[in-house]
Amino acid sequence: MNDLPLAGIRVADFGWIFAVPHTTSWLGALGADVIRIESPKRPDLVRFLGGTDGQLGINRSGLFHSINFSKRSIALDLTNPAGAEVARRLVACSDIITENFGTGVMTKFGLDYEKLRAVKPDIIMMSGTPLGQTGPLAGAIGYGPNSLAFSGISHLTGYPGGEPSGIGGTWPDFVVGVVMVMGVLAALHYRDRTGEGQYIDLSIAEMVTGMIPEAMMDFFLNGREQHPIGNRDPDLAPHGAFPTAGDDRWAAIVTVSDAEFTSLCEVLEAPGLAADARFQTMAARLQNVDALEREIGELTRKFDRDDLVAKLRARHIAAGPMYNTAEIIADPAMVESGMNVEVDHKEVGRRVIPGLPVSFSACQPNYYGGPAIGEHTDEVLTQVLGYSPDEITRLRQAGGVL
Amino acid sequence: MQNSQSPAALDDLKVVELPMLDPMPFFAASMAAKAMADLGAEVLKIEPPKTGAQDRHFGPVGRGGPELETRALHLYLDCNKLSVTLDLARPRGRDLLMRVLEGADVVFNPNPPALCERLGIGWRALCGRFARLIVVSTTFFGTGSRYRDFRGGDLVATQMSGVGYETPFNQVTDPPNQPPLKAAERQADYMTGYTAAASAMVALQGRKRSGRGQHVDVSQWLSMVSTIRINVGELSHDSPRAGMHRRLFVRRKTNAGWIYPCKDGFVSFRSSPGNFWDGAVRMLGSPEWTKEPIFETETLRLKNSDALDALLTSWFMEHTKEDIFQRAQAQGVPCFPLYNVREVAHNRHYQARDFFQDCEHPLAGRFKMPGPPYLMSRTPGRVRRPAPHLGEHNLMVYCERLGIARDQVDAMLSQGVI
Repeated sequence: MNDLPLAGIRVADFGWIFAVPHTTSWLGALGADVIRIESPKRPDLVRFLGGTDGQLGINRSGLFHSINFSKRSIALDLTNPAGAEVARRLVACSDIITENFGTGVMTKFGLDYEKLRAVKPDIIMMSGTPLGQTGPLAGAIGYGPNSLAFSGISHLTGYPGGEPSGIGGTWPDFVVGVVMVMGVLAALHYRDRTGEGQYIDLSIAEMVTGMIPEAMMDFFLNGREQHPIGNRDPDLAPHGAFPTAGDDRWAAIVTVSDAEFTSLCEVLEAPGLAADARFQTMAARLQNVDALEREIGELTRKFDRDDLVAKLRARHIAAGPMYNTAEIIADPAMVESGMNVEVDHKEVGRRVIPGLPVSFSACQPNYYGGPAIGEHTDEVLTQVLGYSPDEITRLRQAGGVL
Repeated sequence: MQNSQSPAALDDLKVVELPMLDPMPFFAASMAAKAMADLGAEVLKIEPPKTGAQDRHFGPVGRGGPELETRALHLYLDCNKLSVTLDLARPRGRDLLMRVLEGADVVFNPNPPALCERLGIGWRALCGRFARLIVVSTTFFGTGSRYRDFRGGDLVATQMSGVGYETPFNQVTDPPNQPPLKAAERQADYMTGYTAAASAMVALQGRKRSGRGQHVDVSQWLSMVSTIRINVGELSHDSPRAGMHRRLFVRRKTNAGWIYPCKDGFVSFRSSPGNFWDGAVRMLGSPEWTKEPIFETETLRLKNSDALDALLTSWFMEHTKEDIFQRAQAQGVPCFPLYNVREVAHNRHYQARDFFQDCEHPLAGRFKMPGPPYLMSRTPGRVRRPAPHLGEHNLMVYCERLGIARDQVDAMLSQGVI
């Protein structure tokens, strides 16, 4: 019996782009009935990114499918009063609303929290925007990666002495995704105890600033201003990505003790390095880290990446290959993890999507492919919202349902 | 939002956080427990006697007081938690842990699976003993992975997940001399921590239905892979975009991640898709060059991004980041100034939202620190108590809660069990 933990929870999802769709795929895969509201008049631009097998199409984006599994899609025009009314009726029978439009857009649709709690007093609504819903810059627009600049993390990410940098994986969008899962479920927990809903305002920049506590606290406690240190660690050396044989192949290596450094030197067949006075203690290695990294880099170049990683792992040293996407999917541990999920999709057939990064012992997430735009409009309007076929026809004629 | 009268979302929950016994720094469990503590859950942080948990040993040292009590990571991650010492390496300590876990709702355990099994605190043992307990393993690779006995950590997870491959983002021009990079601080630990906290909340919902707890297996590596999910989707759909996810990408400077230099620093700026380009042209004052045929369409602008960026940069170099930010936003173009730590700390917008919270600590004094990642209107997360002294709540937990006699507790203390 696969009783999913979020069965019986309904989510009205006004999200788009990356972060909120990821949130609601989590909720959907774990049993919530997620109904995504989309407008074919102003579709999620992600639907047009990529395409499948060289062919573009609104229902053919692999990017979209990787963050929109396990949910239904209905097509409404929220700028049309009839469309907004259908949305309100959906809210009336939902537990959670998620959205990440620019600040004020939901208000423009007449779908702000105050209006929606009039429809459903215990509703939980969560918004995610670059800088949040209040404050002098609340209206500022931007994508998640733009917010990194404002948060301080871009200033701290980069090579020592180098320029500030953005972070891979369209960081921080998928962090926002799981943080919003936590937020709406914490509010749901509170609602279940008290009957009270609430509004949750996530500022992406603030969330990211909360993930650089060492730099922020160093400033607040000591007035010290930190700068980028690349792959290094303030307390551990070596702590870096080192080149191995071949083109652009790297291995991450971290040692946490003098004994491990000695083991590393043995693996690298470099007794001279182990005996070098500059590298005898962690403190000495940290002090001479430029020379240390140079010396190690010269040695690692002679090794095959995966051989070196295997040898270091055998000595219980933290080591890992730098992977590109294809290598990740092919890694045997990845294959066995169950995270490469195959789903069927009407237009693009059977494809791999990345599932949740977590296993639950009491349930198996329910994965199904990303919806075609408006694929479930009639189904949801009839079965969930109780509209008759005639009413649906009238809503279509009015332009509210697309 | 600092109203001390406001209720807390999770104040009916009891959470136990186990210390990382491996020397590799790993703060996922600590971040997961913090996320719940900030929302009111009671978090008992179990710490090794005398030395304390890793939070007390890494990161910058604050002013005043012994280092064990004033490290920045401890002050931040352990805020709102209770500290109880207990030696998991000793049978007596593990017996005590079992008593502490009675009545707990969630336990976060960051330890390597083999060590847990040797100590009898593996997830099967805990789930078997406590039917309602939600056992969250936050490990480097997952408790069932063929890599379960390997060390991971922030750098290894970053490089094995593809995040390192794409960092610095679209700024790699000379791969041999630009190693794949990790983000600042301990992002893989924190991402794993938030994933664990979210998963614990999922399992708590499940328990309302089934009456039973379960094991939640959170892998640091997979939590990081989850952040490059769009690359996986594009590859599996044979999307032409899949080719974009490579280290040596043409410096695609109109991308969201691109950072431009300006007169007094840097800005993050994006002029695609087309509606943003139109706004950018207005921001620039519609100079003649924007009408050049080579910039006419999105495709052409991407193709000619070197020329475009040179022209954009020359304009940026004559304007300050605040000026560019205001002008771009006025035209509806995504743009933010790039702030250093001091500028973030003094940010007026953050101040208006009370994002930095005041904390008063007996040894570290009064200081500010980042608040929770979101504002809950009815149950705001906030500072309820400063980070605890090592073992500060031993008597409260062992004597008052568990009813152990004071002289026995003293004996355990002198024997180093607690």
